[in-house]
Amino acid sequence: MEELILELKKEIIEVLNLEDVKPEDIDSDSPLFGDGLGLDSIDALELIVLMEKNYGIKLNNAAEGREIFKSVRVMAEYIQKNRKK
Amino acid sequence: MNLYIQAASQISIQEPLCEDWFEHPIFYEERYQRAIDPDFKMYIPPMVARRMGKLLKRALVTSSNVVENSATQKIDAIITGSGLGCIENTEKFLQAMVQEGEDFLQPTFFMQSTHNTISSQIALHLKCHGYNSTYSHRGTSFESGLLDAFQQISLQRIDNALVGGHDEMTPDYFTLLDQIGYWKKGAINSETLRNSDSDGSFSGETSVSFMIENRKKEFSLCEIKAVDLLYKPSIERMQTAVDDLLKNHHLTLQDIDSVFVGISGDVQNDTIYRTMKNKIFQNRPLCWYKHLFGESFSASGLGMYAAAICLQKNCIPEHLFYHPQKPMNGINNILVYNHFQNKDHSLILLSSC
Repeated sequence: MEELILELKKEIIEVLNLEDVKPEDIDSDSPLFGDGLGLDSIDALELIVLMEKNYGIKLNNAAEGREIFKSVRVMAEYIQKNRKK
Repeated sequence: MNLYIQAASQISIQEPLCEDWFEHPIFYEERYQRAIDPDFKMYIPPMVARRMGKLLKRALVTSSNVVENSATQKIDAIITGSGLGCIENTEKFLQAMVQEGEDFLQPTFFMQSTHNTISSQIALHLKCHGYNSTYSHRGTSFESGLLDAFQQISLQRIDNALVGGHDEMTPDYFTLLDQIGYWKKGAINSETLRNSDSDGSFSGETSVSFMIENRKKEFSLCEIKAVDLLYKPSIERMQTAVDDLLKNHHLTLQDIDSVFVGISGDVQNDTIYRTMKNKIFQNRPLCWYKHLFGESFSASGLGMYAAAICLQKNCIPEHLFYHPQKPMNGINNILVYNHFQNKDHSLILLSSC
């Protein structure tokens, strides 16, 4: 799990172009949106594309996304259970 | 109605956000040059800048710079000229479409791949809810935007306008243009391009912004007296346009201290300027600026910028003269003349204030 969390942090930094942010700067349990990393709705779209492209997970339900993107750890757990790639 | 340039700012292949080029121009030997970027983190918060391509960052920084330097409280209009728009993001979006089979398209690249992204991002950044427009007319995009601002201020619809010309040159687009003969082959010397007898020029990048307003301030750079655009004019039509423009402002050709032209070292492009010089601008000193800034679709904006700085400093430096001569002091009027592929021609008359 820790390996997947690290991989996910690197992917988030790359896809969201978070300049000057390192994987260790992201708290695995902090919220991704609002407080914490402070991401917004466009970032949510980018994360949906990331999930589908890198792990073969297609999210159709917006409410589902709200739960999955709570934190990097929650996201990693969801990916581990549902990944097709 | 009088119009004044209150402030001007550039990011190009010369030192950015300053007028170092005036005394210490940088000359190049490579035919492909990217702009010298400032440290964007000093101007744009990282969380805001992270979605922006280089061109957007440059446009935001030069725009913010002129708004600040002109002490403008309320911007009435933002008008941008861009031949290619945000081509870097367009390429990323299209490449992803090809590579991923039209799946997994990233929204950010799509959102910021349009031409009018620049004007809209400037408006968001500066919190301007006024008139917002983008002109994409290849080599006369900048002048088209300037003409819009000029007419709206002249008609008293607005008091001021933030006008810019912004174009980047990505490696892929450089290669495409290279294949149709836009660039010189092999190494160049930008300082001596005037002697070139071959096709093509060298590539630069442009981000230039101006704050234009209907009242004179103590720091105004110069006055914009006229802006004129002509499509496929004959020599006779050009002669009439220049005559009318001068007559309307009670000037003669002898009152024009210099004509700033877009000579670029491309023999096909430059022949038009030489013809105009021989038939219309006889005995008037020519100045050029593309040996400093390179060729790009918005380069004419840098021509107006260079002329405005010369009027402000009341001096044209030696390195701007097409035919070598000593620096000229005591200048009052500069005519900026540009053409794009001998189809679109533009005239901008600037005067000291």
